Amino acid sequence: MTRFRQWAWGLGIATTSAVTAFGVAAWQANAAPTAPTPTVAAEQPRVTDPSPLPEAATGRGSDALTSGEVATARAVALTPQLAAEAEDVTGKAGPEYLSAEVDPEAGGRQAELYFYDYKTEKLVKQVVDLKTGKLAKSFAATGMQPPASEQETKTALELLVADPLGQSLAGMDGLVPTAHIYTAKPADQGASQCGKSRCVQLIVQTEDGEFLSVSEFVVDLSGRTVARLK
Amino acid sequence: MSYRKLVGATALLTVALLGAAVPAGAQAAPALPCSAASTVKEKLPNGTTWQLCWRIHDKAGLMLEKVFVSTKLNPQPVQVLDSIRLAQLHVPYDTGDMEFDDLTDLGMGGYFLETLDGDDCQGGSARVGSDGSGDPQLRKVLCVSAEPSGLAYRGREQNWDENGETSVLSSKQGHDLVLRTISKLSWYEYVTEFRLHDDGQISARLGATGDLAPETEADAARGWPIGKGADYKATMHYHNAFWRVDFNLDGKGGERVDQYDTTLDGRGEMTAKLKTTRTAIAKEGTFSKVNQRWWRVTSQSSKNTDGHPRSYELVTGGDDRYEGHPETKPDVTFSQKNPCDKYASGNASDPECPVDNRTVLDFVKDKEKMTDPVMWVRVGFHHVPRDEDQSPMPMHWQGFDLVPRDFTAMNQLTPDERAGENGNPQPEPSDEPSEPVPSSAQPVPSGAGG
Repeated sequence: MTRFRQWAWGLGIATTSAVTAFGVAAWQANAAPTAPTPTVAAEQPRVTDPSPLPEAATGRGSDALTSGEVATARAVALTPQLAAEAEDVTGKAGPEYLSAEVDPEAGGRQAELYFYDYKTEKLVKQVVDLKTGKLAKSFAATGMQPPASEQETKTALELLVADPLGQSLAGMDGLVPTAHIYTAKPADQGASQCGKSRCVQLIVQTEDGEFLSVSEFVVDLSGRTVARLK
Repeated sequence: MSYRKLVGATALLTVALLGAAVPAGAQAAPALPCSAASTVKEKLPNGTTWQLCWRIHDKAGLMLEKVFVSTKLNPQPVQVLDSIRLAQLHVPYDTGDMEFDDLTDLGMGGYFLETLDGDDCQGGSARVGSDGSGDPQLRKVLCVSAEPSGLAYRGREQNWDENGETSVLSSKQGHDLVLRTISKLSWYEYVTEFRLHDDGQISARLGATGDLAPETEADAARGWPIGKGADYKATMHYHNAFWRVDFNLDGKGGERVDQYDTTLDGRGEMTAKLKTTRTAIAKEGTFSKVNQRWWRVTSQSSKNTDGHPRSYELVTGGDDRYEGHPETKPDVTFSQKNPCDKYASGNASDPECPVDNRTVLDFVKDKEKMTDPVMWVRVGFHHVPRDEDQSPMPMHWQGFDLVPRDFTAMNQLTPDERAGENGNPQPEPSDEPSEPVPSSAQPVPSGAGG
């Protein structure tokens, strides 16, 4: 069922009158040599406004992965070996879960799940065939650092607050951290291990909207240390 | 009978034949490979319909896939794009102390994607979809709206005959189907926008708003005073945006890339002669603008009803080229489609792919022959802060256009009274307009199939 928002276009009557107005003006232009240039109100036409559908259990084709598909894929991707041998950002057993995306070019429904293993400093990619519910392929490599998870961002802020360099922060209350992945640049003096190690640059916003630090601090999540750039 | 009236009659006949030439069922919708919730299909007031699949990618943000267009004159939907999306947003500050690859260091989707609120989608439809995060949330993230785009065309045809002067005015308001999402990356907020015009043009642009980076003071060579006096100078910086564009013209794929250059070529009787030449770009490479240079991606198997190969032209506008990295210098890169080529920089993020495949320069370094080209478009904006940037910062935009070139035999919005005017522009009527034969007299079938 399609419904239109009333504020978007009145009740559709305006559409009719606008079209009619143009039709008349155009007709006049055809008939009379000195007809005025037709004017069309530059009103915004409506688009459809479908009611949101409940989330499907499974997606189709290039649809984003549904939460059900992600849950299924995570269960398959987290093999007993990975669960036992890998470590997350807090040092617990099991890899740090980062992201899940659909691969529509794979032909069926395939989920690509990314994890970071802090024990081996490897990015792990698990490809799950959602039709069969089986792990289709598995890859791992060092030196690859996709964006941080929420848990990694929180951990980075905790490390900064606990560090002498973060003494200006009076606890974590009300702070909103943003964690950019940081890869060491050639001229980097303070955190040259970053890239091989998993590091983030923290931008911290306080409750009143102020930003506390910009690029000064780099938190090495692998080494659990805080460095100051410059 | 005036000459124009005769042309008008021909045009009517052409229109009638056009109508008759549309086979039954030709307007069947393409089978989009996505569900209803991730489909956008909207008809604009001039009769143009765009349909596509959309989704949010955690790093690239809004992606459009399988983009089809149909118009009143060409009612069969024809595919234009396989996909279009951002490919990087590189933000280096002029002090050299800070730079970000926002797509691959943070991501435009996931929890950086804003839920539409306030006036974000005024007059449009806020669509619910997954935010693409690892723990997907259904939220109102995509704004779909139809927006007036100004005067699409105007032409007045004047006639003189025994009854005096008459004229026919063709004047039409254009519209765009606009799709946009908003990502909040700490202080900056970015609008990812695709405008699908009713004449077949596609515009991709990135808007930046929010606030300037705080606490980034610079000297006068790298900063601009904001606030009272000159105590605090906000740092100048760049927004280098890259887009990945994968055409699939008429669903046939296998396009070729052409570069055109226009140069001086001696003198004519009154002024300079110019010469335009085509260079086929058969192999992967990076390319940059010089005066009077442009590129198009051309189908090798699909033609419009005039027998001309369908193509789309890359039209770039305002652009600041960042010279600080080799990969941000080229304006456009064409590479053979490869699933390992994802981001214009910071690309090494997939363990299934080589770790040294980092930037667009790596994508093309073996100069492979292209059978399925992907276009990487870079548009930079050097932001010199100004007092007006606070607060919030007025939106600043950067982007490019994809303009249909011979995609259809005529303007997709051609009104009925002009339907016969395809070909050599009409000659002026002679004193004895006995047998005017407009080059458009030959009726053409619907421009959809090939």
